[in-house]
Amino acid sequence: MKSAIEAKRITKTFGHGNMALDNVSLDVTSGEILVIMGPSGSGKSTLIRTFNGLESIDSGKLEILGIPLDSDKNQQQVSLIRRQVGMVFQQFNLFPHLSILENITLAPIQVQGCSAAEAETKAFELLIQMGIEDQARKHPNQLSGGQQQRAAIARALALNPKIMLFDEPTSALDPEKVKEVLDAIKSLANKGMTMVVVTHEIGFAREVSDRVVFMDEGKVIEISSPNTFFIDAKEERSRRFLNQVM
Amino acid sequence: MRKIFKQKRIKTGHFLDGGIESVINIFLVLIIIVCSFKAFNWILFVADWTVVTKNLHLYALGSYPREYQWRPLTWLLLLFSTILLTLFKNKSKLVRRFIYCIWIILIPAGIILHSGGIGLAPVQTRYWGGLSLTILLTICSAAFALPIGILLALGRQSDMFLVRNPCKLYVELVRAIPLIAVLFFGQLLIPLFLPVDIELNRVLRAIIAFTLFSAAYVAEDIRSGLQSIPKTQKEAAQALGLSNIHVMQFIVLPQALRIALPALTNQAIGLLQNTSLMAILGLVELLGITRSLLANPEFIGRYLEAYIWIGFVYWFTCTAMALISNRLEKDLSPDKSDRINL
Ligand SMILES: Nc1ncnc2c1ncn2[C@@H]1O[C@H](COP(=O)(O)OP(=O)(O)O)[C@@H](O)[C@H]1O
Ligand SMILES: [Mg+2]
Repeated sequence: MKSAIEAKRITKTFGHGNMALDNVSLDVTSGEILVIMGPSGSGKSTLIRTFNGLESIDSGKLEILGIPLDSDKNQQQVSLIRRQVGMVFQQFNLFPHLSILENITLAPIQVQGCSAAEAETKAFELLIQMGIEDQARKHPNQLSGGQQQRAAIARALALNPKIMLFDEPTSALDPEKVKEVLDAIKSLANKGMTMVVVTHEIGFAREVSDRVVFMDEGKVIEISSPNTFFIDAKEERSRRFLNQVM
Repeated sequence: MRKIFKQKRIKTGHFLDGGIESVINIFLVLIIIVCSFKAFNWILFVADWTVVTKNLHLYALGSYPREYQWRPLTWLLLLFSTILLTLFKNKSKLVRRFIYCIWIILIPAGIILHSGGIGLAPVQTRYWGGLSLTILLTICSAAFALPIGILLALGRQSDMFLVRNPCKLYVELVRAIPLIAVLFFGQLLIPLFLPVDIELNRVLRAIIAFTLFSAAYVAEDIRSGLQSIPKTQKEAAQALGLSNIHVMQFIVLPQALRIALPALTNQAIGLLQNTSLMAILGLVELLGITRSLLANPEFIGRYLEAYIWIGFVYWFTCTAMALISNRLEKDLSPDKSDRINL
Protein backbone atom coordinates (compact mmCIF):
# COMPACT_ATOMS: atom_id res chain seq x y z
CA MET A 1 0.00 0.00 0.00
CA LYS A 2 1.12 3.54 -0.74
CA SER A 3 2.05 5.52 2.31
CA ALA A 4 0.28 8.87 2.79
CA ILE A 5 2.02 9.99 5.94
CA GLU A 6 5.37 8.71 7.07
CA ALA A 7 6.79 9.95 10.37
CA LYS A 8 10.11 8.62 11.69
CA ARG A 9 11.26 9.50 15.19
CA ILE A 10 9.94 13.07 15.03
CA THR A 11 10.38 15.31 18.06
CA LYS A 12 9.02 18.70 18.95
CA THR A 13 9.90 20.75 21.98
CA PHE A 14 8.11 23.88 23.15
CA GLY A 15 9.90 26.48 25.19
CA HIS A 16 11.59 25.11 28.28
CA GLY A 17 12.24 21.47 27.50
CA ASN A 18 8.54 20.67 27.28
CA MET A 19 8.59 17.70 24.91
CA ALA A 20 5.29 17.74 23.05
CA LEU A 21 6.44 15.01 20.65
CA ASP A 22 8.99 12.46 21.81
CA ASN A 23 10.35 10.21 19.04
CA VAL A 24 7.00 9.62 17.37
CA SER A 25 7.00 7.16 14.50
CA LEU A 26 3.83 6.57 12.56
CA ASP A 27 2.73 5.39 9.13
CA VAL A 28 -0.60 6.14 7.56
CA THR A 29 -1.35 4.29 4.36
CA SER A 30 -3.44 5.74 1.60
CA GLY A 31 -7.15 5.29 2.28
CA GLU A 32 -6.62 4.46 5.93
CA ILE A 33 -8.60 5.98 8.77
CA LEU A 34 -6.46 6.52 11.81
CA VAL A 35 -7.87 7.60 15.14
CA ILE A 36 -5.61 9.24 17.71
CA MET A 37 -6.60 9.11 21.36
CA GLY A 38 -4.93 10.17 24.54
CA PRO A 39 -5.30 12.40 27.56
CA SER A 40 -5.24 16.17 27.27
CA GLY A 41 -1.76 17.56 26.70
CA SER A 42 -0.41 14.29 25.32
CA GLY A 43 0.63 15.91 22.04
CA LYS A 44 -2.23 14.80 19.76
CA SER A 45 -2.85 18.25 18.34
CA THR A 46 0.85 18.94 17.99
CA LEU A 47 1.26 15.71 16.03
CA ILE A 48 -1.47 16.29 13.50
CA ARG A 49 -0.49 19.94 13.16
CA THR A 50 2.95 18.82 11.99
CA PHE A 51 1.21 16.94 9.16
CA ASN A 52 0.32 20.19 7.37
CA GLY A 53 3.22 22.26 8.57
CA LEU A 54 1.35 24.31 11.18
CA GLU A 55 4.00 23.08 13.61
CA SER A 56 7.56 22.48 12.46
CA ILE A 57 9.45 19.49 13.79
CA ASP A 58 12.77 19.73 15.62
CA SER A 59 14.22 16.45 14.42
CA GLY A 60 13.24 13.25 12.69
CA LYS A 61 11.89 12.58 9.23
CA LEU A 62 8.43 13.45 8.03
CA GLU A 63 7.00 12.82 4.59
CA ILE A 64 3.49 13.73 3.53
CA LEU A 65 2.33 12.24 0.21
CA GLY A 66 5.96 11.72 -0.67
CA ILE A 67 6.88 15.35 -0.03
CA PRO A 68 9.46 15.78 2.74
CA LEU A 69 8.63 18.26 5.52
CA ASP A 70 12.01 18.92 7.07
CA SER A 71 12.78 20.74 10.26
CA ASP A 72 13.93 23.77 8.24
CA LYS A 73 10.65 25.09 6.96
CA ASN A 74 10.71 25.09 3.19
CA GLN A 75 7.79 27.33 2.23
CA GLN A 76 7.35 25.72 -1.16
CA GLN A 77 7.05 22.22 0.26
CA VAL A 78 4.71 23.43 2.97
CA SER A 79 2.35 25.13 0.52
CA LEU A 80 2.47 22.12 -1.80
CA ILE A 81 1.39 19.92 1.09
CA ARG A 82 -1.30 22.27 2.37
CA ARG A 83 -3.06 22.17 -1.00
CA GLN A 84 -3.47 18.42 -0.59
CA VAL A 85 -4.17 18.19 3.13
CA GLY A 86 -7.40 19.54 4.62
CA MET A 87 -7.76 20.33 8.29
CA VAL A 88 -10.78 20.69 10.57
CA PHE A 89 -10.35 22.32 13.96
CA GLN A 90 -12.02 21.87 17.31
CA GLN A 91 -13.30 25.47 17.33
CA PHE A 92 -14.34 25.40 13.62
CA ASN A 93 -12.27 28.55 12.93
CA LEU A 94 -14.57 29.72 10.17
CA PHE A 95 -13.88 33.27 8.99
CA PRO A 96 -16.57 35.34 10.73
CA HIS A 97 -16.46 38.24 8.27
CA LEU A 98 -17.19 36.04 5.25
CA SER A 99 -20.36 34.20 4.31
CA ILE A 100 -20.31 30.40 4.39
CA LEU A 101 -20.04 30.38 0.61
CA GLU A 102 -17.12 32.82 0.68
CA ASN A 103 -15.45 30.76 3.39
CA ILE A 104 -15.54 27.77 1.09
CA THR A 105 -14.65 29.45 -2.20
CA LEU A 106 -11.77 31.58 -0.89
CA ALA A 107 -9.05 28.95 -1.17
CA PRO A 108 -10.15 27.46 -4.52
CA ILE A 109 -10.18 30.96 -6.03
CA GLN A 110 -6.99 32.27 -4.44
CA VAL A 111 -4.90 29.10 -4.22
CA GLN A 112 -6.03 27.03 -7.19
CA GLY A 113 -7.01 29.93 -9.41
CA CYS A 114 -10.54 28.66 -10.04
CA SER A 115 -13.08 31.07 -11.45
CA ALA A 116 -15.71 32.30 -9.01
CA ALA A 117 -18.46 30.41 -10.84
CA GLU A 118 -16.49 27.17 -10.85
CA ALA A 119 -15.68 27.52 -7.15
CA GLU A 120 -19.31 28.23 -6.26
CA THR A 121 -20.61 25.22 -8.16
CA LYS A 122 -18.13 23.04 -6.30
CA ALA A 123 -19.00 24.73 -2.99
CA PHE A 124 -22.71 24.01 -3.45
CA GLU A 125 -21.95 20.38 -4.21
CA LEU A 126 -20.07 20.17 -0.93
CA LEU A 127 -22.75 22.05 1.00
CA ILE A 128 -25.39 19.63 -0.34
CA GLN A 129 -23.15 16.73 0.66
CA MET A 130 -22.96 18.26 4.15
CA GLY A 131 -26.70 18.99 4.18
CA ILE A 132 -26.38 22.74 4.74
CA GLU A 133 -26.90 24.18 1.26
CA ASP A 134 -29.58 26.55 2.59
CA GLN A 135 -27.00 28.20 4.86
CA ALA A 136 -24.70 29.27 2.01
CA ARG A 137 -25.38 33.00 2.17
CA LYS A 138 -25.35 33.27 5.95
CA HIS A 139 -22.44 34.27 8.12
CA PRO A 140 -20.87 31.72 10.47
CA ASN A 141 -22.35 33.17 13.66
CA GLN A 142 -25.85 32.64 12.26
CA LEU A 143 -25.30 28.87 12.17
CA SER A 144 -25.49 26.32 14.95
CA GLY A 145 -22.26 24.70 16.09
CA GLY A 146 -22.96 21.50 14.20
CA GLN A 147 -23.69 23.43 11.02
CA GLN A 148 -20.54 25.51 11.47
CA GLN A 149 -18.40 22.41 11.81
CA ARG A 150 -19.98 20.87 8.72
CA ALA A 151 -19.29 24.13 6.87
CA ALA A 152 -15.68 23.90 8.07
CA ILE A 153 -15.47 20.36 6.70
CA ALA A 154 -16.85 21.58 3.37
CA ARG A 155 -14.26 24.36 3.37
CA ALA A 156 -11.45 21.86 3.92
CA LEU A 157 -12.81 19.60 1.18
CA ALA A 158 -13.03 22.40 -1.39
CA LEU A 159 -9.41 21.92 -2.44
CA ASN A 160 -9.99 18.21 -3.16
CA PRO A 161 -7.49 17.13 -0.51
CA LYS A 162 -5.97 13.67 -0.46
CA ILE A 163 -5.72 13.63 3.33
CA MET A 164 -8.11 15.08 5.92
CA LEU A 165 -6.99 15.93 9.45
CA PHE A 166 -9.56 16.34 12.21
CA ASP A 167 -8.53 17.76 15.59
CA GLU A 168 -11.30 16.91 18.06
CA PRO A 169 -14.01 17.96 15.59
CA THR A 170 -16.89 17.35 17.99
CA SER A 171 -15.40 18.43 21.32
CA ALA A 172 -16.83 21.95 21.16
CA LEU A 173 -20.34 20.80 20.26
CA ASP A 174 -23.48 20.27 22.28
CA PRO A 175 -24.11 16.54 22.68
CA GLU A 176 -27.12 16.56 20.37
CA LYS A 177 -25.05 18.09 17.54
CA VAL A 178 -22.23 15.55 17.73
CA LYS A 179 -23.98 12.94 15.62
CA GLU A 180 -24.58 15.14 12.58
CA VAL A 181 -20.88 15.99 12.40
CA LEU A 182 -19.75 12.41 12.97
CA ASP A 183 -22.15 11.27 10.24
CA ALA A 184 -20.60 13.77 7.86
CA ILE A 185 -17.13 12.45 8.69
CA LYS A 186 -18.31 8.85 8.29
CA SER A 187 -19.68 9.62 4.83
CA LEU A 188 -16.21 10.80 3.89
CA ALA A 189 -14.68 7.66 5.34
CA ASN A 190 -16.95 5.56 3.16
CA LYS A 191 -15.63 7.38 0.09
CA GLY A 192 -12.12 6.18 0.83
CA MET A 193 -10.59 9.43 2.07
CA THR A 194 -7.36 9.12 4.03
CA MET A 195 -8.10 10.54 7.46
CA VAL A 196 -6.38 11.20 10.75
CA VAL A 197 -8.93 11.92 13.45
CA VAL A 198 -8.17 13.03 16.98
CA THR A 199 -11.30 12.23 18.93
CA HIS A 200 -12.71 10.99 22.21
CA GLU A 201 -15.75 9.46 20.52
CA ILE A 202 -15.25 5.78 21.20
CA GLY A 203 -18.28 4.60 19.26
CA PHE A 204 -17.09 6.47 16.21
CA ALA A 205 -13.55 5.13 16.57
CA ARG A 206 -14.76 1.54 16.85
CA GLU A 207 -17.06 1.80 13.90
CA VAL A 208 -14.92 3.73 11.44
CA SER A 209 -11.24 3.51 12.22
CA ASP A 210 -8.74 1.06 10.79
CA ARG A 211 -6.24 1.62 13.57
CA VAL A 212 -6.16 3.47 16.87
CA VAL A 213 -3.08 5.29 18.12
CA PHE A 214 -2.82 5.94 21.83
CA MET A 215 -0.52 8.78 22.92
CA ASP A 216 0.66 9.95 26.31
CA GLU A 217 3.26 12.54 27.26
CA GLY A 218 4.34 13.06 23.67
CA LYS A 219 4.97 9.36 23.02
CA VAL A 220 3.05 6.83 20.99
CA ILE A 221 2.18 4.19 23.58
CA GLU A 222 0.21 1.81 21.45
CA ILE A 223 -1.03 1.30 17.90
CA SER A 224 -3.75 -1.34 17.62
CA SER A 225 -6.80 -2.26 15.64
CA PRO A 226 -9.94 -0.82 17.24
CA ASN A 227 -11.15 -4.25 18.31
CA THR A 228 -7.93 -4.97 20.18
CA PHE A 229 -7.65 -1.49 21.60
CA PHE A 230 -11.14 -1.14 23.04
CA ILE A 231 -11.58 -4.69 24.25
CA ASP A 232 -8.13 -5.82 25.15
CA ALA A 233 -5.58 -3.01 24.99
CA LYS A 234 -1.98 -4.14 25.04
CA GLU A 235 -0.58 -1.48 27.30
CA GLU A 236 -1.39 -0.87 30.94
CA ARG A 237 -1.43 2.92 30.32
CA SER A 238 -4.03 2.56 27.56
CA ARG A 239 -6.25 0.41 29.73
CA ARG A 240 -6.12 2.97 32.53
CA PHE A 241 -7.12 5.73 30.10
CA LEU A 242 -9.98 3.68 28.67
CA ASN A 243 -11.25 2.90 32.13
CA GLN A 244 -11.49 6.59 32.82
CA VAL A 245 -13.31 7.55 29.64
CA MET A 246 -15.58 4.56 29.04
CA MET B 1 -36.45 33.68 16.21
CA ARG B 2 -36.24 37.27 17.18
CA LYS B 3 -36.25 38.15 20.80
CA ILE B 4 -36.40 41.81 21.57
CA PHE B 5 -35.87 42.90 25.09
CA LYS B 6 -37.01 46.42 25.55
CA GLN B 7 -35.88 47.83 28.80
CA LYS B 8 -36.96 51.40 28.65
CA ARG B 9 -38.13 52.22 32.10
CA ILE B 10 -38.39 55.87 32.86
CA LYS B 11 -37.35 56.45 36.40
CA THR B 12 -39.87 58.87 37.78
CA GLY B 13 -40.09 57.39 41.19
CA HIS B 14 -37.56 59.58 42.91
CA PHE B 15 -38.28 62.80 41.12
CA LEU B 16 -40.77 64.43 43.39
CA ASP B 17 -41.11 62.30 46.47
CA GLY B 18 -40.10 64.92 48.99
CA GLY B 19 -36.78 65.27 50.75
CA ILE B 20 -33.49 66.70 49.64
CA GLU B 21 -33.54 64.98 46.25
CA SER B 22 -36.62 66.76 44.99
CA VAL B 23 -35.24 70.11 46.16
CA ILE B 24 -32.09 69.47 44.13
CA ASN B 25 -34.16 68.34 41.15
CA ILE B 26 -36.35 71.42 41.19
CA PHE B 27 -33.30 73.62 41.56
CA LEU B 28 -31.61 71.95 38.55
CA VAL B 29 -34.72 72.27 36.41
CA LEU B 30 -34.92 75.98 37.27
CA ILE B 31 -31.29 76.47 36.27
CA ILE B 32 -31.88 74.70 32.95
CA ILE B 33 -34.99 76.79 32.23
CA VAL B 34 -33.24 80.06 33.02
CA CYS B 35 -30.19 79.14 30.97
CA SER B 36 -32.13 78.04 27.92
CA PHE B 37 -34.29 81.13 28.11
CA LYS B 38 -31.23 83.36 28.21
CA ALA B 39 -29.57 81.43 25.42
CA PHE B 40 -32.60 81.61 23.13
CA ASN B 41 -33.12 85.26 23.94
CA TRP B 42 -29.50 85.96 23.01
CA ILE B 43 -29.59 83.87 19.84
CA LEU B 44 -32.87 85.34 18.59
CA PHE B 45 -32.83 88.96 19.72
CA VAL B 46 -29.46 90.13 21.02
CA ALA B 47 -26.95 88.50 18.69
CA ASP B 48 -26.12 90.14 15.40
CA TRP B 49 -25.69 87.32 12.92
CA THR B 50 -24.67 89.51 9.98
CA VAL B 51 -21.11 88.29 10.53
CA VAL B 52 -22.41 84.89 9.49
CA THR B 53 -25.14 85.67 6.99
CA LYS B 54 -23.11 88.17 4.98
CA ASN B 55 -20.13 85.85 4.74
CA LEU B 56 -21.56 82.39 4.13
CA HIS B 57 -19.60 82.08 0.89
CA LEU B 58 -16.39 82.94 2.75
CA TYR B 59 -17.06 80.31 5.42
CA ALA B 60 -17.71 77.79 2.73
CA LEU B 61 -14.99 78.57 0.20
CA GLY B 62 -12.65 81.25 1.56
CA SER B 63 -11.54 83.82 -0.97
CA TYR B 64 -11.81 81.43 -3.88
CA PRO B 65 -12.17 83.46 -7.11
CA ARG B 66 -15.81 84.18 -7.78
CA GLU B 67 -15.93 82.91 -11.36
CA TYR B 68 -14.61 79.50 -10.29
CA GLN B 69 -16.57 79.12 -7.06
CA TRP B 70 -18.86 76.57 -8.67
CA ARG B 71 -15.95 74.10 -8.56
CA PRO B 72 -15.42 73.71 -4.81
CA LEU B 73 -19.18 74.16 -4.38
CA THR B 74 -19.81 71.25 -6.70
CA TRP B 75 -17.37 69.22 -4.69
CA LEU B 76 -19.04 70.10 -1.38
CA LEU B 77 -22.42 69.22 -2.86
CA LEU B 78 -21.09 65.95 -4.23
CA LEU B 79 -19.62 65.20 -0.82
CA PHE B 80 -22.84 66.05 0.95
CA SER B 81 -24.95 63.89 -1.34
CA THR B 82 -22.50 61.02 -1.00
CA ILE B 83 -22.82 61.30 2.77
CA LEU B 84 -26.61 61.18 2.50
CA LEU B 85 -26.38 58.26 0.09
CA THR B 86 -24.09 56.42 2.49
CA LEU B 87 -26.39 56.99 5.43
CA PHE B 88 -29.40 55.89 3.45
CA LYS B 89 -30.19 52.32 4.36
CA ASN B 90 -29.31 50.35 1.29
CA LYS B 91 -29.33 46.61 1.15
CA SER B 92 -27.89 45.90 -2.27
CA LYS B 93 -24.24 44.95 -2.40
CA LEU B 94 -23.86 46.57 -5.79
CA VAL B 95 -25.10 49.93 -4.53
CA ARG B 96 -22.72 49.69 -1.59
CA ARG B 97 -19.76 49.02 -3.88
CA PHE B 98 -20.80 51.94 -6.03
CA ILE B 99 -20.83 54.21 -2.97
CA TYR B 100 -17.35 53.07 -1.93
CA CYS B 101 -16.16 53.90 -5.45
CA ILE B 102 -17.62 57.41 -5.20
CA TRP B 103 -15.80 57.92 -1.91
CA ILE B 104 -12.51 57.00 -3.53
CA ILE B 105 -13.18 59.26 -6.51
CA LEU B 106 -14.07 62.15 -4.19
CA ILE B 107 -10.44 62.65 -3.18
CA PRO B 108 -8.83 63.24 -6.59
CA ALA B 109 -11.99 65.07 -7.65
CA GLY B 110 -11.60 67.44 -4.69
CA ILE B 111 -7.98 68.17 -5.51
CA ILE B 112 -8.64 68.73 -9.22
CA LEU B 113 -11.73 70.87 -8.67
CA HIS B 114 -9.80 73.05 -6.25
CA SER B 115 -6.47 73.33 -8.03
CA GLY B 116 -7.58 73.11 -11.62
CA GLY B 117 -6.10 71.02 -14.40
CA ILE B 118 -7.78 68.79 -17.01
CA GLY B 119 -9.15 71.84 -18.77
CA LEU B 120 -10.01 73.74 -15.59
CA ALA B 121 -8.16 77.00 -14.97
CA PRO B 122 -5.55 76.71 -12.22
CA VAL B 123 -6.32 78.41 -8.92
CA GLN B 124 -3.46 78.94 -6.50
CA THR B 125 -3.72 77.46 -3.05
CA ARG B 126 -3.59 80.82 -1.30
CA TYR B 127 -7.13 81.45 -2.54
CA TRP B 128 -8.42 78.19 -1.08
CA GLY B 129 -10.18 78.40 2.22
CA GLY B 130 -13.14 77.90 4.47
CA LEU B 131 -15.00 74.67 5.05
CA SER B 132 -13.99 73.22 1.69
CA LEU B 133 -10.30 73.58 2.63
CA THR B 134 -10.91 72.12 6.09
CA ILE B 135 -12.62 69.08 4.61
CA LEU B 136 -10.08 68.73 1.83
CA LEU B 137 -7.22 68.76 4.35
CA THR B 138 -9.01 66.19 6.50
CA ILE B 139 -10.03 63.80 3.75
CA CYS B 140 -6.68 63.87 1.95
CA SER B 141 -4.65 63.44 5.14
CA ALA B 142 -6.89 60.64 6.35
CA ALA B 143 -6.78 58.91 2.98
CA PHE B 144 -2.97 58.94 2.93
CA ALA B 145 -2.53 58.22 6.64
CA LEU B 146 -4.62 55.04 6.48
CA PRO B 147 -2.44 52.99 4.09
CA ILE B 148 0.76 54.33 5.66
CA GLY B 149 -0.61 53.46 9.10
CA ILE B 150 -1.51 49.95 7.91
CA LEU B 151 2.00 49.46 6.55
CA LEU B 152 3.53 50.75 9.79
CA ALA B 153 1.34 48.43 11.86
CA LEU B 154 2.24 45.44 9.69
CA GLY B 155 5.88 46.49 9.82
CA ARG B 156 5.83 46.51 13.60
CA GLN B 157 4.69 42.89 13.50
CA SER B 158 7.32 41.81 11.02
CA ASP B 159 9.93 39.22 11.93
CA MET B 160 12.60 41.25 10.20
CA PHE B 161 14.63 43.39 12.56
CA LEU B 162 15.32 46.01 9.90
CA VAL B 163 11.62 46.44 9.19
CA ARG B 164 10.22 46.16 12.68
CA ASN B 165 12.50 48.56 14.49
CA PRO B 166 12.33 51.53 12.11
CA CYS B 167 8.52 51.27 12.14
CA LYS B 168 8.52 51.16 15.91
CA LEU B 169 10.96 54.06 16.13
CA TYR B 170 8.85 56.15 13.75
CA VAL B 171 5.66 55.60 15.69
CA GLU B 172 7.28 56.32 19.04
CA LEU B 173 9.06 59.37 17.71
CA VAL B 174 6.04 60.97 16.07
CA ARG B 175 3.90 60.30 19.11
CA ALA B 176 6.44 62.13 21.21
CA ILE B 177 6.23 65.30 19.10
CA PRO B 178 3.31 67.71 19.45
CA LEU B 179 1.29 68.22 16.28
CA ILE B 180 1.95 71.93 16.14
CA ALA B 181 5.68 71.22 15.99
CA VAL B 182 5.11 68.80 13.11
CA LEU B 183 3.09 71.48 11.33
CA PHE B 184 5.79 74.12 11.81
CA PHE B 185 8.24 71.55 10.52
CA GLY B 186 6.01 71.02 7.51
CA GLN B 187 5.60 74.70 6.71
CA LEU B 188 9.11 75.92 7.46
CA LEU B 189 11.53 73.04 7.16
CA ILE B 190 10.22 70.89 4.31
CA PRO B 191 10.96 73.70 1.79
CA LEU B 192 14.55 73.89 3.09
CA PHE B 193 15.13 70.23 2.33
CA LEU B 194 13.85 70.51 -1.20
CA PRO B 195 15.76 71.95 -4.17
CA VAL B 196 14.99 75.62 -4.71
CA ASP B 197 13.14 75.14 -7.96
CA ILE B 198 10.62 72.72 -6.48
CA GLU B 199 8.02 74.71 -4.65
CA LEU B 200 5.54 72.63 -2.73
CA ASN B 201 2.44 74.62 -2.04
CA ARG B 202 1.29 75.24 1.50
CA VAL B 203 -1.76 73.02 1.34
CA LEU B 204 0.29 70.10 0.12
CA ARG B 205 2.85 70.67 2.88
CA ALA B 206 0.05 70.74 5.44
CA ILE B 207 -1.37 67.50 4.07
CA ILE B 208 2.06 65.88 4.25
CA ALA B 209 2.52 66.99 7.84
CA PHE B 210 -0.94 65.83 8.93
CA THR B 211 -0.45 62.54 7.11
CA LEU B 212 2.91 61.81 8.71
CA PHE B 213 1.52 62.71 12.12
CA SER B 214 -1.76 60.79 11.88
CA ALA B 215 -0.13 57.72 10.37
CA ALA B 216 1.62 56.99 13.67
CA TYR B 217 -1.66 57.04 15.59
CA VAL B 218 -3.52 55.13 12.90
CA ALA B 219 -0.75 52.51 13.04
CA GLU B 220 -1.31 52.00 16.75
CA ASP B 221 -5.08 51.69 16.33
CA ILE B 222 -4.62 49.11 13.60
CA ARG B 223 -1.98 47.27 15.57
CA SER B 224 -4.40 46.81 18.44
CA GLY B 225 -6.94 45.55 15.91
CA LEU B 226 -4.41 43.10 14.50
CA GLN B 227 -3.56 41.83 17.94
CA SER B 228 -7.18 41.13 18.73
CA ILE B 229 -7.53 38.62 15.87
CA PRO B 230 -7.02 35.15 17.33
CA LYS B 231 -4.08 33.13 16.02
CA THR B 232 -6.49 30.38 15.04
CA GLN B 233 -7.88 32.54 12.23
CA LYS B 234 -4.44 32.81 10.70
CA GLU B 235 -3.84 29.09 11.13
CA ALA B 236 -7.14 28.15 9.53
CA ALA B 237 -6.24 30.29 6.53
CA GLN B 238 -2.71 28.88 6.33
CA ALA B 239 -4.08 25.36 6.52
CA LEU B 240 -6.05 26.15 3.35
CA GLY B 241 -2.79 26.86 1.58
CA LEU B 242 -3.20 30.63 1.42
CA SER B 243 0.06 32.55 1.17
CA ASN B 244 1.08 34.88 3.98
CA ILE B 245 0.07 37.91 1.94
CA HIS B 246 -3.36 36.44 1.18
CA VAL B 247 -3.85 35.52 4.83
CA MET B 248 -3.25 39.16 5.70
CA GLN B 249 -5.31 40.53 2.84
CA PHE B 250 -8.40 38.35 3.13
CA ILE B 251 -8.53 37.18 6.73
CA VAL B 252 -6.56 39.19 9.25
CA LEU B 253 -6.64 42.75 7.93
CA PRO B 254 -10.38 42.98 7.14
CA GLN B 255 -11.25 41.79 10.63
CA ALA B 256 -8.62 44.00 12.26
CA LEU B 257 -9.82 47.08 10.39
CA ARG B 258 -13.38 46.47 11.46
CA ILE B 259 -12.31 46.23 15.08
CA ALA B 260 -10.15 49.34 14.73
CA LEU B 261 -12.92 51.32 13.03
CA PRO B 262 -14.25 53.16 16.13
CA ALA B 263 -10.72 54.18 17.09
CA LEU B 264 -9.98 55.23 13.52
CA THR B 265 -13.14 57.36 13.49
CA ASN B 266 -11.84 59.04 16.61
CA GLN B 267 -8.60 59.79 14.80
CA ALA B 268 -10.47 61.20 11.81
CA ILE B 269 -12.57 63.48 13.98
CA GLY B 270 -9.46 64.60 15.84
CA LEU B 271 -7.80 65.25 12.51
CA LEU B 272 -10.67 67.44 11.36
CA GLN B 273 -10.42 69.51 14.50
CA ASN B 274 -6.64 69.65 14.32
CA THR B 275 -6.77 71.18 10.85
CA SER B 276 -7.78 74.34 12.69
CA LEU B 277 -4.17 74.58 13.88
CA MET B 278 -3.32 75.57 10.33
CA ALA B 279 -4.99 78.91 11.06
CA ILE B 280 -1.94 79.75 13.15
CA LEU B 281 0.24 78.97 10.17
CA GLY B 282 -1.73 81.22 7.88
CA LEU B 283 -4.12 78.93 6.04
CA VAL B 284 -7.60 80.43 5.91
CA GLU B 285 -9.51 77.25 6.60
CA LEU B 286 -12.64 77.41 8.72
CA LEU B 287 -10.97 78.91 11.79
CA GLY B 288 -8.57 81.00 9.70
CA ILE B 289 -11.38 82.62 7.74
CA THR B 290 -13.23 83.35 10.98
CA ARG B 291 -10.18 85.06 12.42
CA SER B 292 -9.70 87.20 9.36
CA LEU B 293 -13.41 88.10 9.32
CA LEU B 294 -13.20 89.20 12.93
CA ALA B 295 -10.27 91.46 11.98
CA ASN B 296 -12.59 93.27 9.57
CA PRO B 297 -13.80 96.56 11.19
CA GLU B 298 -17.33 95.87 9.95
CA PHE B 299 -17.65 92.85 12.22
CA ILE B 300 -15.52 94.00 15.11
CA GLY B 301 -16.51 92.48 18.44
CA ARG B 302 -18.73 89.77 16.95
CA TYR B 303 -16.57 87.06 18.48
CA LEU B 304 -19.35 85.12 20.14
CA GLU B 305 -21.52 84.93 17.04
CA ALA B 306 -18.66 83.92 14.78
CA TYR B 307 -17.26 81.29 17.09
CA ILE B 308 -20.65 79.81 17.96
CA TRP B 309 -21.31 79.56 14.25
CA ILE B 310 -18.11 77.71 13.39
CA GLY B 311 -18.54 75.61 16.52
CA PHE B 312 -21.84 74.55 15.04
CA VAL B 313 -20.24 73.83 11.66
CA TYR B 314 -17.52 71.71 13.27
CA TRP B 315 -20.13 69.88 15.31
CA PHE B 316 -22.23 69.23 12.23
CA THR B 317 -19.26 67.89 10.24
CA CYS B 318 -18.03 65.68 13.06
CA THR B 319 -21.50 64.27 13.60
CA ALA B 320 -21.71 63.43 9.93
CA MET B 321 -18.40 61.58 10.24
CA ALA B 322 -19.56 59.66 13.28
CA LEU B 323 -22.78 58.66 11.51
CA ILE B 324 -20.88 57.45 8.46
CA SER B 325 -18.62 55.43 10.70
CA ASN B 326 -21.64 53.84 12.38
CA ARG B 327 -23.07 52.96 9.00
CA LEU B 328 -19.76 51.46 7.90
CA GLU B 329 -19.50 49.47 11.10
CA LYS B 330 -22.95 48.01 10.48
CA ASP B 331 -22.12 47.27 6.84
CA LEU B 332 -18.98 45.41 7.83
CA SER B 333 -20.44 43.64 10.81
CA PRO B 334 -21.02 39.93 10.38
CA ASP B 335 -23.70 40.02 13.07
CA LYS B 336 -26.32 41.04 10.59
CA SER B 337 -29.07 39.11 12.21
CA ASP B 338 -29.79 37.10 15.28
CA ARG B 339 -27.40 34.67 16.80
CA ILE B 340 -28.45 31.12 17.33
CA ASN B 341 -27.08 29.24 20.29
CA LEU B 342 -24.29 26.83 19.45
N1 LIG C 1 2.21 26.76 21.13
C1 LIG C 1 2.63 26.09 22.23
N2 LIG C 1 3.53 26.66 23.07
C2 LIG C 1 3.96 26.01 24.16
N3 LIG C 1 3.56 24.79 24.53
C3 LIG C 1 2.66 24.16 23.75
C4 LIG C 1 2.14 24.79 22.56
N4 LIG C 1 1.27 23.94 21.98
C5 LIG C 1 1.23 22.84 22.77
N5 LIG C 1 2.07 22.97 23.82
C6 LIG C 1 2.32 21.96 24.85
O1 LIG C 1 2.59 20.75 24.21
C7 LIG C 1 1.96 19.69 24.89
C8 LIG C 1 1.04 18.93 23.96
O2 LIG C 1 -0.03 19.78 23.60
P1 LIG C 1 -1.17 19.34 22.58
O3 LIG C 1 -0.53 18.77 21.38
O4 LIG C 1 -2.06 20.50 22.39
O5 LIG C 1 -1.91 18.20 23.39
P2 LIG C 1 -3.34 17.55 23.12
O6 LIG C 1 -3.84 18.05 21.82
O7 LIG C 1 -3.07 16.08 23.14
O8 LIG C 1 -4.21 17.95 24.25
C9 LIG C 1 1.23 20.27 26.08
O9 LIG C 1 2.05 20.11 27.21
C10 LIG C 1 1.11 21.72 25.72
O10 LIG C 1 1.15 22.51 26.88
MG1 LIG D 1 -5.62 19.17 21.37
